[in-house]
Amino acid sequence: MIDQLILLLPAASLASAVLIMLTRGAIGRRAAQVSVVGGTVSFLIAVALLIAALSGQDNSRLELAGSWGSLLFDPLGVLMGVLITGISLLVRVYSVRYMAEEPGYPRFFVLLDLMTAALLVMVAAGDLITLLISWHLIGVLLYFLLGHDTRSGSAYRYGFWTFITYRLGDLPLVLAAVVLYTTYGTWSLPGIFDALAANPDAETYFGLPAAEFVAALIALAAFARSAQFLLHTWLPYTMDGPTPVSALMHAGIVNAGGFLINRFAPVFAHTEHTLHWVFVVGLATAVIGSVLMLSQHDIKKSLGYSTMGQMGFMIMECGAGAFALAIFHLIAHGLFKGTLFLSAGSIIGQARRNDGVPKEDLYTFIVERRSARNRPPWLLMAVITLAIPVIVLVLTHLAVAPNLLRNQGVEVLLLFGWVTGAQLIFTTYNLGSQNPWRLLTLIVSSFTIVVVGYTLISHAFELFLYPDHELTDRLYEAAAIDFGWFVALVVLTSVVIVVGWLRAFYTERGRRGGMRPPSHWWRNFHALISRELHIIDIYTVITRTLLAASSRINVWLRWG
Amino acid sequence: MQEFGYLAAGLFLPLFPLSIVFNAILGRVGHPLMRSALLVAWPMAGLLVLSALDDDLPSWLVAWALATAALYAFRMLAMRDITRWTGFLASSAWALLWLPASTDVETSQLWLHAAAFSIPLVVVTLLSRNLEQRFGAAYIGLYGGLALSTPRFAGVLVISVLAATATPLFPSFLSMLGVAVAADPAPAIALVLVWFIWSWAGARLLQGLIVGAAEPSPQSDLRPATTWGYAAGLTGLAVAGLILMGSQL
Repeated sequence: MIDQLILLLPAASLASAVLIMLTRGAIGRRAAQVSVVGGTVSFLIAVALLIAALSGQDNSRLELAGSWGSLLFDPLGVLMGVLITGISLLVRVYSVRYMAEEPGYPRFFVLLDLMTAALLVMVAAGDLITLLISWHLIGVLLYFLLGHDTRSGSAYRYGFWTFITYRLGDLPLVLAAVVLYTTYGTWSLPGIFDALAANPDAETYFGLPAAEFVAALIALAAFARSAQFLLHTWLPYTMDGPTPVSALMHAGIVNAGGFLINRFAPVFAHTEHTLHWVFVVGLATAVIGSVLMLSQHDIKKSLGYSTMGQMGFMIMECGAGAFALAIFHLIAHGLFKGTLFLSAGSIIGQARRNDGVPKEDLYTFIVERRSARNRPPWLLMAVITLAIPVIVLVLTHLAVAPNLLRNQGVEVLLLFGWVTGAQLIFTTYNLGSQNPWRLLTLIVSSFTIVVVGYTLISHAFELFLYPDHELTDRLYEAAAIDFGWFVALVVLTSVVIVVGWLRAFYTERGRRGGMRPPSHWWRNFHALISRELHIIDIYTVITRTLLAASSRINVWLRWG
Repeated sequence: MQEFGYLAAGLFLPLFPLSIVFNAILGRVGHPLMRSALLVAWPMAGLLVLSALDDDLPSWLVAWALATAALYAFRMLAMRDITRWTGFLASSAWALLWLPASTDVETSQLWLHAAAFSIPLVVVTLLSRNLEQRFGAAYIGLYGGLALSTPRFAGVLVISVLAATATPLFPSFLSMLGVAVAADPAPAIALVLVWFIWSWAGARLLQGLIVGAAEPSPQSDLRPATTWGYAAGLTGLAVAGLILMGSQL
């Protein structure tokens, strides 16, 4: 029964795509209804599979052909299946009216259904070839979805950026598959993981450790798909595509990097260094994405950079060894960002009628720049700012799973939680409410609820996705660094953050005494950020140079 | 004698500069059926010659083949004439056949790889002839908006270019994977880079033809029956590839 359901999961979306394609002339605009029915069936199947997984059904692998062409039933695939089918169904329902005026209406639903099927095959792939096929197809389908309006040159231009970055990310995955096959002699993912567990020190080309080498290649593939720094330029610029596609992309497709790293968790568990630089890349992406988001004047690009920052954080969680947390993060972010995109149109419409900004504390402080009316004592607030988040975070983790606090990865994430909580309270202090204690109590209560919820849910995810504690322990171990270095880095990070806060505080205080012109250094920094670190300019120059060289060679060798 | 054999193999499984011969001939052949025949027969002749050679292939030949494949892939990026674009892709793809040929891969598999690369190119050739008849020339960027003016033609063109540039589920994708598995690590890395450039060139070709506002065209779109014929052919190609090439992996 489970085997039939896991096969039906992508088949329902595929069937609706084929049906629309074959009957598009006859059914016309009813194509959307066919697509919604296909999406509903897929979603119901995914939910049924999730219920089966939650009720303790054993993992299984359905083989459709010989050495490849297999689908897995496991908690990770099923959970991702529910996310994909859920978001895809919402996007289809939303598109029924949203795309009604666009040419190529049935084609849009064919592509959407094919994309859903490809995504579902990717998360359920039981072997490397099936995974490669679906991974590659997602990039191709996304290119045509983003360029659905064939009149728009810019939609295709930026769709091409996405396509070419995805293709670049396909290369390391192909190489990883080749290395795994030549080392372990099978395409089957469970077979590879078993062989790896039996012989974790296997070597591959040039005497390199197979696990470390493959993990590095998989991480590279994940970076391209999840818009990590230097491979991120496509993400903020793909807003010319239809809004439902943006929603699907930001809520689902861009998360594939986090999924891929989780799928290969048994490989990462046998690495020594890879997770460290995964963490560094994720951290750099989170910081740079957030800085670029704050400096954008275009709201859509700002949303794009926001996704980049979130993806950086998700990859960073993987680098810290918190693989299940990354899955929770990508689901939460997917739902949040999907809602943002799908409700953007109606919010803009409402805002045109009424800006909806209440003339309360937040408005007067941020927009009208009025100074605070009531402020609690500075020192008391400083102590509360620094202490309360730590107390809440530590007590929550101790209550949920005391042994978690022994892992460096969890400690790193706690540090980020502390920074976020402290920033929140610091902002409350600056807000200058008429009743600051009431506001503070509300904020601390909300923070506590969020932390308790986050900790409980992420712990539940870990128990569901990785019931094998040995694997999770090994992942945290692989992510750990030398204790001395760890303490030094935590202290350094804390100092940098506190100095940043102090600088923000004194800048704000100085502002009240009159604006000073920004320094030369600051103006240069702002120019650099405004030009998005010139990365796109550099890529453009490289591309033009290559095309000019190709053209020149064609002239030299014009006879053949 | 052996030297002549290598020379002939280098002509038919094109190694630069011998590859110039094939591209020059393809450029001069006007009839689409002749072009198609050339695209199918040329690598087969190369494989026949290669199978007659009983020596192990020297490793420098593999490097030369990869350099040829990379050169023609790179040249595709700026090539606007679709017939020559097809010839460059054929030269690039067939040069890659030297990689599995240098290992202990069976001859029947080499034939399958050659067919997997050639057949989608035949479809592109037939379509480019169609463009020449409609517009007087088959140049990328000369006219756009085919997706709106001739949607059925544009659909078939998109699928056939994807098939030619080794996109799944087409047999050339499985061929590339099979060749990568059979190759040593350094050639495998070069191979995936060539593959990447094919995709880049393919996207540029499609953008130059299908994107843009619809321009008035005196010609009509493909007839539905012809479109179904192309669709059936490409579906058959994909299914046959999955069965024949897939079983080899």
